[in-house]
Amino acid sequence: MTEAVFANGLSKRYGERLALDRLSLSLSPGSVFGFLGPNGAGKTTTVKLLTGLLTPTEGACSVFGLDPCREPEKVHALCGVVTESARLYPQLSGLENLSFFGELCGLPRAAARERAESLLRRLGLWEAASLAAGAYSTGMAQRLSLARALMGEPKLLFLDEPTSGLDPESAQAVNELIAAQAAREGVTVFLCTHQLRYAQDLCSGYGILHHGTLLALGDLSSLAEQAGCHSHAVFRLGQGEVLPGFSLQEGFFRRPLRSEEEMPALVREAVQAGLHVYEARLERPALEDVYFRFVGHEEGGRADDTSA
Amino acid sequence: MTLPLDSREWAIVRKDLKNVWHTKMARLTILLVPILLCLVLPAVYVTVIALVPEEELAADAREIAALFAGGEADTVRRLLFSMIGQMLGPLFFLMVPLLSSTTAAACSFVGEREHGTMETLLLAPVTLRQIFRAKVAACFLLSAVVELVSLLFFSAVMAVGSIVLEAPFYFNGNWAVLVFLLCPLFTVLGIIFMVLVSGKSKNAMEAMQTSSYLVLPVILLFVGQFSGLFPAGPLYLLIAAALAAAADAVLLRLASRAFTPEKLLR
Ligand SMILES: Nc1ncnc2c1ncn2[C@@H]1O[C@H](COP(=O)(O)OP(=O)(O)O)[C@@H](O)[C@H]1O
Ligand SMILES: [Mg+2]
Repeated sequence: MTEAVFANGLSKRYGERLALDRLSLSLSPGSVFGFLGPNGAGKTTTVKLLTGLLTPTEGACSVFGLDPCREPEKVHALCGVVTESARLYPQLSGLENLSFFGELCGLPRAAARERAESLLRRLGLWEAASLAAGAYSTGMAQRLSLARALMGEPKLLFLDEPTSGLDPESAQAVNELIAAQAAREGVTVFLCTHQLRYAQDLCSGYGILHHGTLLALGDLSSLAEQAGCHSHAVFRLGQGEVLPGFSLQEGFFRRPLRSEEEMPALVREAVQAGLHVYEARLERPALEDVYFRFVGHEEGGRADDTSA
Repeated sequence: MTLPLDSREWAIVRKDLKNVWHTKMARLTILLVPILLCLVLPAVYVTVIALVPEEELAADAREIAALFAGGEADTVRRLLFSMIGQMLGPLFFLMVPLLSSTTAAACSFVGEREHGTMETLLLAPVTLRQIFRAKVAACFLLSAVVELVSLLFFSAVMAVGSIVLEAPFYFNGNWAVLVFLLCPLFTVLGIIFMVLVSGKSKNAMEAMQTSSYLVLPVILLFVGQFSGLFPAGPLYLLIAAALAAAADAVLLRLASRAFTPEKLLR
């Protein structure tokens, strides 16, 4: 099976600056990949390399086995791309914009218009269908861009910070649409984002990029392991009761676990010791914790953005 | 450039034409240039020479007119009439393709950069070659329509003039070469020039200004030569057309080479 996305030693240098340093990556079709990293990490550069807008300084990449530099139009026929810098025609209406890009995807005019209309409805832009795109608010324009990327029914979506700068309502609408796409059979999503909580709900795998270097790659539990983040056992007990070996934080007794297998025994012991166990839960490390372990708090910058 | 265009290229052509139409500055230029140069100015000129009494037409006008019109025309009126047909008219007529094609190309190529839509277009499943061909075709088509309208305007004015002054109609072999060879070649020249300077302009307005600073002196020089060349006969015009065609071919090659994603998005 060909990989949806493949990169081997992919590097990009802008003059003196090495924006991406030997990125190697491989995503199988149908996966939902979260590409995380602070501003300037090289996420946008990676997306532009994978979509043929930039030529790599070194290394190689492919999308469904196609070289994005040699055959960008074939790559673009398979993937939808949303980047911050790819705008829509401000003088044309939302519907005209979508119909136009539908025709570029090879749809006949009537079919392009039909799909454009159905996407506008689904994205809550129907009222603004005949409004010039230049008059759209940021949130509306971003939804329109997403609709534009979906016009060709892509098998792969590259989304570069699709919710940055959006109000919570728009961000939620965009996120719901992405989730719907991600849930579709065989659709691969490559999502660059700062919204770690949202990424955690959506993505099955992650890459953490920092200063152009890929620091970690894998699913959440393997990243947590690499970062040395442990799951915790958390108990809430009756007034005045204590649990030895646990530390008390804001009314909860917490203790790191070496493995989740320890948990049943801990609960049993507490009950057998006659403690009033009001609450007992297993706290897995959040993506946020893991991310900051890798990137470091001071440099995480906007990474703690939790606007949705 | 091989025609015909495929359906995706036509979609780009239609979109570009819509865009030009929605850009106020471009729309004004494209509407006003033919109206002013090929309808209003010739109409005023013809009206004046038809209404002013023969004795009041200065003697030097008679001399100038005789110089350019050869021995065919007999009255001063007819001499002056053939002057607009064979000297001023062709001059105006060469300005039309240059102005309309540079305006269209400014919208089509520079406007795309200005609005950040070039990246979106490059992300669509079309090749760079298709984008380039479609854009050149859109500018060319628009200019061709503008030229056709100009030709109709000018012909109408000149037909009325011919009847009123009982003078021969203006169209001849020279004009055929001008309209069917030189104008299309100049149109392409204007488009390619704009593509080449598009990398240096931030917006369509600036590009149009650049073109007027750089292109207009060159044009004026050329047009000055040209007005002397025009009465010399179709052969010389064909040579001029061959030169323009050679310039087009060289510049087209240069322009399409400069048309790469990294250069376009810089
Ligand atoms: N066109 C460019 N020219 C020079 N440097 C650039 C260019 N684009 C990006 N960079 C630099 O490359 C680095 C990576 O940028 P980018 O890929 O945009 O990061 P991200 O999307 O993760 O915020 C940054 O340091 C940025 O300043
Ligand atoms: Mg970015």
